[in-house]
Amino acid sequence: MSLTGIATVARHELRVRVRRGRWQVLVIVWFAVLAGLLGLLRTAVVGDPLGDQEPVGAVMYGGLQLIVLALAVLVVPALSAQSVNGDRERGVLATLQVTRLTAAEIALGKFFAAWGTALVFVAATAPLVVWCMAEGGVRLMSVLVVTVVMAALLGTVCAVALGFSAVLARTTTSAVLSYLFVFGLTVGTLVLFGLATAVGPQIEVTESFDDEEFTFTQPDTRRSWVFLAPNPFVVLADAAPYRGDPIGQGLDPLGGLGRTVRFLRTPPSPQGGPQLQNPDDVPPVWPTGLAVNVALALAALGLTAWRLRTPARRLPRGQRAA
Amino acid sequence: MAQAGEGIVATGVQRRFRAVEALRGMDLRADPGEVTALVGPNGAGKTTLLLVLATLLKPDAGTVRIAGHDPATDRDAVRARIGWSPDAFGLYEGVTAREYLAFYAAAYGVTRREATDRVTALLAQARLDEFADRPVGVLSRGQKQRLGLLRALVHAPSVLLLDEPAAGLDPRSRVELRELLRGLADEGATILVSSHVLSDLEELADRAVFVDAGRTVGDHRLAALPRATTLRRWRIRALGTGALVAALEQAGIAHSGPGPAGVEVHLAGDEEAAELLSRLVTAGVAVLAFQPASGSLEATFLQLTEEGS
Repeated sequence: MSLTGIATVARHELRVRVRRGRWQVLVIVWFAVLAGLLGLLRTAVVGDPLGDQEPVGAVMYGGLQLIVLALAVLVVPALSAQSVNGDRERGVLATLQVTRLTAAEIALGKFFAAWGTALVFVAATAPLVVWCMAEGGVRLMSVLVVTVVMAALLGTVCAVALGFSAVLARTTTSAVLSYLFVFGLTVGTLVLFGLATAVGPQIEVTESFDDEEFTFTQPDTRRSWVFLAPNPFVVLADAAPYRGDPIGQGLDPLGGLGRTVRFLRTPPSPQGGPQLQNPDDVPPVWPTGLAVNVALALAALGLTAWRLRTPARRLPRGQRAA
Repeated sequence: MAQAGEGIVATGVQRRFRAVEALRGMDLRADPGEVTALVGPNGAGKTTLLLVLATLLKPDAGTVRIAGHDPATDRDAVRARIGWSPDAFGLYEGVTAREYLAFYAAAYGVTRREATDRVTALLAQARLDEFADRPVGVLSRGQKQRLGLLRALVHAPSVLLLDEPAAGLDPRSRVELRELLRGLADEGATILVSSHVLSDLEELADRAVFVDAGRTVGDHRLAALPRATTLRRWRIRALGTGALVAALEQAGIAHSGPGPAGVEVHLAGDEEAAELLSRLVTAGVAVLAFQPASGSLEATFLQLTEEGS
């Protein structure tokens, strides 16, 4: 496996992508939609009575990143979900496999082309990020971390979709499964977390009110948080460095989500609700979640390379080699 | 010229796809400096054998050596030396012919400088230079077929595996393909061609390997094909078709037609043909043309496949 080989495939894939689609139009529409939403968000924050608790820029930035991630996980599967089986359908895969490129070079070249395209969409939001920073309250460190984690999360979606395209013969099947994977990662983890929490241990808490004591149970999420950890929104929010206000009753959706999931790792306070403490003192959720994502990506890339290996012993069902 | 171990040597190659036994022990030898034809009916296993030779399919049993290397153990050495063009392939939408070939040159590890010159030369050779910088989408079927052949040649391979290379080519391109392959063979390349257009192969190939139902059923030098005794179709044209038909019926010879090209009869060998011709002339039929309607390759092919079934 060589970098030259990977670069040869990636460059070619990118060229074919650029020539085939109307990318300029798509990126412009993408930018326009996000700019519009960000404008609306700003109007809402400035008019909100709670709006002065946090800098406007921080709220805008947090909202923007969640919207970008939500839209990106809808766009990104399309970039690689038909990469391998689509090439096979078009009759251009076998002629590539007989060259001196190895299966791993083809797999990684296709992955980097898809991932690079995904990152173009992220890069297109740069002017909007600058706008948020100009509004104040956004730290550069936060932007760097969020961007890197966002890139990694989108890479996972690219890799898994590529894996489906390598394993499945039909392009429609691999596209559907790629979207189901995204659905599972975003909604499925939430459902699993809810179920695990419901059947998991409960903790009794006692609350005094008017000299009367009320005792009730609260779910203990100190183990079930694991199910929520791979969720891309959770990873992104928890990875974003926290700003000064540890309790944070403000509007920043990214920070708020991050604090919420991090407190899942703490026991409920005897008074009910989460223990109020600095989030930086609580063990983070995102390393686990990101590790699961990266592991899925690596497994999918390995699977892709394995399926591209030739001479082949088995072929996808109902498929000719050429 | 032919060194031991070079060219293609396949022995007892077997390959099954689930319930279908595509290759049941195929043997094939193709020597450097020669064009070898792979001839057989649809489903005989020609394409599967070419896929095995092209390092895409692993055989279930049997051994393969290409240019002295074993694809099972030395895949890269084999790939560097073979050029393969499948019967059907696609091109990348929106990519120009020059970019297309340059991409494959890079995929074969040809240096960029060398690739630039080679791609330009190949495009000129195939009369595709005027399309060099236009998207491949504008090419006709025959031009695409030619471009596919150039792709197989882009790294100057010493072994060429061509599956139906003449499909979709106009007569001029066929002649050029023939000359190109002949030229490569004369320079020492090993060329294996499968085709249904037997008349083309007949003028091109030095040897023919006949396959049927996954097995090798014959291996002949074309010069040594048994022309004199095999049953072949002959076409007869005469002034006054009625007289010709009457004479044939009198001689008790089954015939088909008459069609626009004349009457066709099946005759076993040259002697029988000569005898019939003299009888027709004696009977006063004004014979205009009396010629074999099928090449010796086709005759052998038909004979071998009939015996098989």
